[in-house]
Amino acid sequence: MVNVLEVLLICVKVVIVSLILFMLPLPLTYMERKVAGHIQVRLGPFRTGPHGLLQPFADMLKLMFKEDVIPAKADRFLFKIAPIIAMVPVFAVYATVPFGESVTIPFINKELTLYISDMNVGILYVLAIAGLSVYGIILGGWASNSKYPMLGGLRSSAQMISYELALSFAAVGVVMMANSLSLLDIVKGQYGWHWNIIYQPVGFFIFLIAGVAEINRIPFDMPEDEGTLGAGYHAEYSAMRFAFFMLTEYVAMVTISTLGVILFFGGWDGPSFLPGIVWFVLKVVAFIYLFMWVRFTFPRYRFDQLMTIGWKILLPLSLLNILVTGLVII
Amino acid sequence: MNKNEKCNISIRDLLKKVFFVDLIQGLAVTFGYTFTKTITMRYPDEETWVPYSRFRGLHTLNRNKEGRELCVGCELCAKSCPTQCITVVPMEDKTGKGIADRVAARWEINLLRCMFCGLCEDACPTEALRLGRQYELAGKTMQRQLRSKEELLGPQPVPFDFEGGVITRARLERDEDGVVVKADLSSQKRWW
Ligand code: SF4
Ligand code: SF4
Repeated sequence: MVNVLEVLLICVKVVIVSLILFMLPLPLTYMERKVAGHIQVRLGPFRTGPHGLLQPFADMLKLMFKEDVIPAKADRFLFKIAPIIAMVPVFAVYATVPFGESVTIPFINKELTLYISDMNVGILYVLAIAGLSVYGIILGGWASNSKYPMLGGLRSSAQMISYELALSFAAVGVVMMANSLSLLDIVKGQYGWHWNIIYQPVGFFIFLIAGVAEINRIPFDMPEDEGTLGAGYHAEYSAMRFAFFMLTEYVAMVTISTLGVILFFGGWDGPSFLPGIVWFVLKVVAFIYLFMWVRFTFPRYRFDQLMTIGWKILLPLSLLNILVTGLVII
Repeated sequence: MNKNEKCNISIRDLLKKVFFVDLIQGLAVTFGYTFTKTITMRYPDEETWVPYSRFRGLHTLNRNKEGRELCVGCELCAKSCPTQCITVVPMEDKTGKGIADRVAARWEINLLRCMFCGLCEDACPTEALRLGRQYELAGKTMQRQLRSKEELLGPQPVPFDFEGGVITRARLERDEDGVVVKADLSSQKRWW
């Protein structure tokens, strides 16, 4: 018999996780602007609220009330659903991402797991589903019926193919170490400072570089390359549809950060004076800061350079990494 | 020997590339800048720029030490103005001192046409006319852009003996005509 409480708990967890993810762009856009500002010796947003804290809300309101423009010759149906197609997979990923092991709810004395489900093929699921999001980008670029968005969409598909492989192979090393595909087991295998970053530094660097390419951020933001493509695949989008693409981008960044923490930095493992979930959040924020820091430091790579790095360096290197890991484990 | 050196350098370059030395140096630079003091001026609510005294801003008409208007209504400023935006109507006041008693009955400038070239200032024989340091001239009405003698004779927000070239604390004030940024000259800092 299905335990009603169990189902209810899962529903509550799903709602809470989705709400948090929906709200994420608010602090992240603020953080991104502040990081950008201070790196460039500016102040960043400062006039809306104390230290510009209300700026994200102002932006949100603005995006909500903007006119939703659909180009006359666009494929209306695809144009409308493309942001949704991009957005759903990045949310679906969180069905299996663990944020901690479990806590006991005080009054009903019930064990509450800090993940929605523990799939035994968790990492496979995450990588596969996260990759689907690129369809939204390609369709968005295609349906706009406009040159630059289409180029952006095509670039994103090419980039995705060349980096998804290296990303997955980088994760394979970790899977071999943990002897399991479940994200929970991977973290458990790293308890007590046996973090994978120590055993898999090469894998981590491949993961990091491929991850930046996967989430389309500078220096690998070819699909939206403001310099040459206007705004790339979302050039024709406005208002909330554009906001959905932005949301997708930010959540994808958080996904890659979370994955990096789970695979290489021991998840919620840390000194016990802070609860595990706090360590987890701290590590993810550090990762996000790294991505922003990189964004405002490096220029954009050229498209052929990007392909070269993907196919000629990262892919062989990741295969080599797997080989060496295998030999060492044996 | 030469060949060896070359080889050494290329190995070093290779190691540099493998360990991302250049990239890490770049990251270190930006990280350093993250914690330096920002140079953004919080104009207009908190800070404003007070220009040097050579600045050519809103015109001022001045008085001598006894408080008499210096302008003698000679119309030279109006004549020398390339855009012809100054209107001077002279009159004689009845103190019986001849030419020295001439004053301007009406002295008006149309700021919408003025290009702040300073030629009027140069032409003025009595140094009555000087270009001051007020540069926030936006207003809501056309009428505000016509400044008359009465307004320009008023006390200066920044006195002429103040050297300028500093950032000061400031306050933004709104009235029905437009906005004014009031500089507080007691607190100064250089921007560089
Ligand atoms: S500054 Fe130049 S343009 Fe303006 S009133 Fe004087 S002479 Fe005319
Ligand atoms: S401001 Fe100077 S130049 Fe102009 S009318 Fe008066 S005295 Fe003459």
